[in-house]
Amino acid sequence: MADDTGFVLEVRNAAKIFPGGITALEDASLAVRAGEVHCLLGANGAGKSTLLKIIAGAHQPTRGSILVEGREQRFRNPHEAARAGISMIYQELDLVPQLSVAQNMLLGRTPARLGLIDRKARLRRAEAALARIGAQFGPEARVGALSIANQQLAAIARSLTLDARVIIMDEPSAALNETELARVFEVIREITAQGVAIVYVSHRLPEIRAIGERVSVLRGGRSIGTFAVADTTEQSLVEAVLGRNRQLLERAGRAPSPSARPALEVRRLSGPHGLRIADLQLREGEIVGLSGLNGSGRTTFLRALFGDLPSEGEILLGGRPFQPRRPADAIARGVGLVPEDRKVQGLVLGSAIYRNATLASLRRGTWLTHRQLGARAEPVLTDLSTRYSDIAQPVRQLSGGNQQKVVFAKWVLAGSRILLLDEPSRGLDVGAKAELYALVRRLAEDGAAILVASSELDEIYVNCDRIWVFHEGRNLRCFELPQSSRDEILEAGLVGHREEQA
Amino acid sequence: MTMLSSAAPARARAPAGAQLAQWLLRYNFIVIFLAVLVAGALLSPDFLTFRNIANLFQQGAVVGIVAVGMTFVILTANIDLSVGSMVACGGMVAALLMQAGWPAIPAVLAALATGTVLGALLGAISAYAAVPSFIVTLAGLVTIRGVTFLMSGGVPVGGLPRGFGQFGTLQLHVAPGLGFPILGILFLLVCIAAGLLLRFTVFGEYVYATGGNAEAARLSGLPTRLIVTGVFALSGLLASSAGVLLTARLRIGQPTAAQGLELDAIAAVVLGGTSLFGGRGGVLGTAVAVMLLQVLRNIFNLLGLGSFYQMTITGLIIIAAVLLNRVIDRRQGNG
Repeated sequence: MADDTGFVLEVRNAAKIFPGGITALEDASLAVRAGEVHCLLGANGAGKSTLLKIIAGAHQPTRGSILVEGREQRFRNPHEAARAGISMIYQELDLVPQLSVAQNMLLGRTPARLGLIDRKARLRRAEAALARIGAQFGPEARVGALSIANQQLAAIARSLTLDARVIIMDEPSAALNETELARVFEVIREITAQGVAIVYVSHRLPEIRAIGERVSVLRGGRSIGTFAVADTTEQSLVEAVLGRNRQLLERAGRAPSPSARPALEVRRLSGPHGLRIADLQLREGEIVGLSGLNGSGRTTFLRALFGDLPSEGEILLGGRPFQPRRPADAIARGVGLVPEDRKVQGLVLGSAIYRNATLASLRRGTWLTHRQLGARAEPVLTDLSTRYSDIAQPVRQLSGGNQQKVVFAKWVLAGSRILLLDEPSRGLDVGAKAELYALVRRLAEDGAAILVASSELDEIYVNCDRIWVFHEGRNLRCFELPQSSRDEILEAGLVGHREEQA
Repeated sequence: MTMLSSAAPARARAPAGAQLAQWLLRYNFIVIFLAVLVAGALLSPDFLTFRNIANLFQQGAVVGIVAVGMTFVILTANIDLSVGSMVACGGMVAALLMQAGWPAIPAVLAALATGTVLGALLGAISAYAAVPSFIVTLAGLVTIRGVTFLMSGGVPVGGLPRGFGQFGTLQLHVAPGLGFPILGILFLLVCIAAGLLLRFTVFGEYVYATGGNAEAARLSGLPTRLIVTGVFALSGLLASSAGVLLTARLRIGQPTAAQGLELDAIAAVVLGGTSLFGGRGGVLGTAVAVMLLQVLRNIFNLLGLGSFYQMTITGLIIIAAVLLNRVIDRRQGNG
């Protein structure tokens, strides 16, 4: 189908300047071949999402052109892009959970006769698309009842009903565990074999290696280049993404050894979703990682410790018994939670930076002035090297990494000595991740005790002193670092995984 | 953001011109209010007289005090439909107790306590049983009105002490020959107290945080359900206070009083720029909007427009104001 250029989709020297002179994209080019998985890589703010929106018709480029199968196109809206065969799957899947898979797939294009819905035609078309991806759920399943991975697959199937030639997937892996991701990859391979091209956006280099054929890198609104994945080292990709500001995620030699004083001792703890934790200790100045599959109980454990989920057991905190019934109990004893989803659980997005930072430390007084609050927040925010233009600006306007620092500042201000971090780097680019973990290490050096739950082993492997592998609500095994190898830890997770399958 | 956020420390400030434009956008209701005032002054020489202004305050006080309570409720992303009935109930409790021979002050305190407890009850049901406040207070609207009719047997209650009735129309002499209604003064005091509460207390900060993101507030250790209960108690307190003042002004306890008042109060809060999604807005906007609606009614009367026109135009103005706020939200990336 591709024309003589051989590309199904081509973006040439696209630029986007928003009203007010903000340049989101300076000069981006992208050439996608039919049937390939073309990865797009770039730090936050590199212009990835602007480029995607231009391709999908949600933005109009200020300069530059888009060619679909060799013909220049000007999309005025996403519908026109869809008609030209370009379909976008957003990170926050835009499916209606209350409706069935078939209803969602043909939403807005429901087959009808004389205004009456043609249910048979709808089912037929949905079934055909689901068959192409080998889905294990039917067209009448309610979308809300599907797992995130299956919802992802339903979204892909929907693109197929649009006869998409190019499907753009914006960080599809963010909410998936490894098994689910493998399934999504399988489907991607199937549909690329049918000639559909995939533009795959991800921060995770191993994924790009697993699925991508070529990768284009954006930095500071410009295209840096396109590389064949097989011939490119991770090192050189990281360099392309970060340019001169490169801060590699390397195992840092942590200077002070953890003091012997135990900060937290979970002798036994049982809670919802089959949580049963035994003999887990955390010392002052120590960073302990929690690894395991999604649903292995990492998040449940942290929320139970924070008093957000009911639990029972025997916990010592600073040597004294600790039975958190509500978050306020935990906060009063110096425990802070950096929750999984900073936008939904961590921050009041529309509220000022300093008001978010001081939110957990207000109960000591009844009266306050905003000048005082700002003065209290500012040194801590500065200390955490948070970048903002006005401390009174809504926290929504900050980048992801800086938003996360505001959440950290909240607990520093509340005097927390034990920090529970649940997927703290989710959605952050490589540079922001490195900065985040540098901050975590510094807090530990100052004596804080830190638990980090993460689905990315690499990340905690290089930053933690020990790693607990969780499985089905239990803490399976503890690995000392750096003595244990990455493979050993991975295997422990996989052993649990095999048992799960049996 | 709050309505009085000038005290926040800043690192970098926009240039003065841009800052003025920002200010005008955020406080657009003040600009509109001033425009309406100018229009009124041009239309009638009687408009900008002290007597007329005092009159506007006298008429706006009851709905104004209710709207201040409503502001707190809406800031937590809730709604209180029971306030109209609460006004009637509070006024009726005070009237019945005084008719039964209670002195005015204990009777009034009992009425305020009734309103506070009922408000807290509705808020607690909504917060602890996780029922939308729209439904709980809709039930409250019907139930409390019913109880008010039952208490009074469906007829107005009169025979109130002379002093109590006089209080409702009392004028405070600010200058020789210039009397300002005590109701208007009480409304202003309530506005100031509420503004201080929102701006300078931990409770106020918690109200904004709970409305902005209840989940994040809860995970920051805030007692969010208690805060929601608290704002409904406050709304009940202010509504029953307004009821007592209305009874004093009318000199009877009227079981049918203040029907539909909840809608006027909600309209004023929204017109004043408080977001129905919670977390943004303040009392200054509400106060200005209450007076704006009074001034509009006044101008219509001066123009000789009938009440049918008044209703239509007032409704259209509210729609226009809400759309304007929506546009401003979008521009600032809050939408």
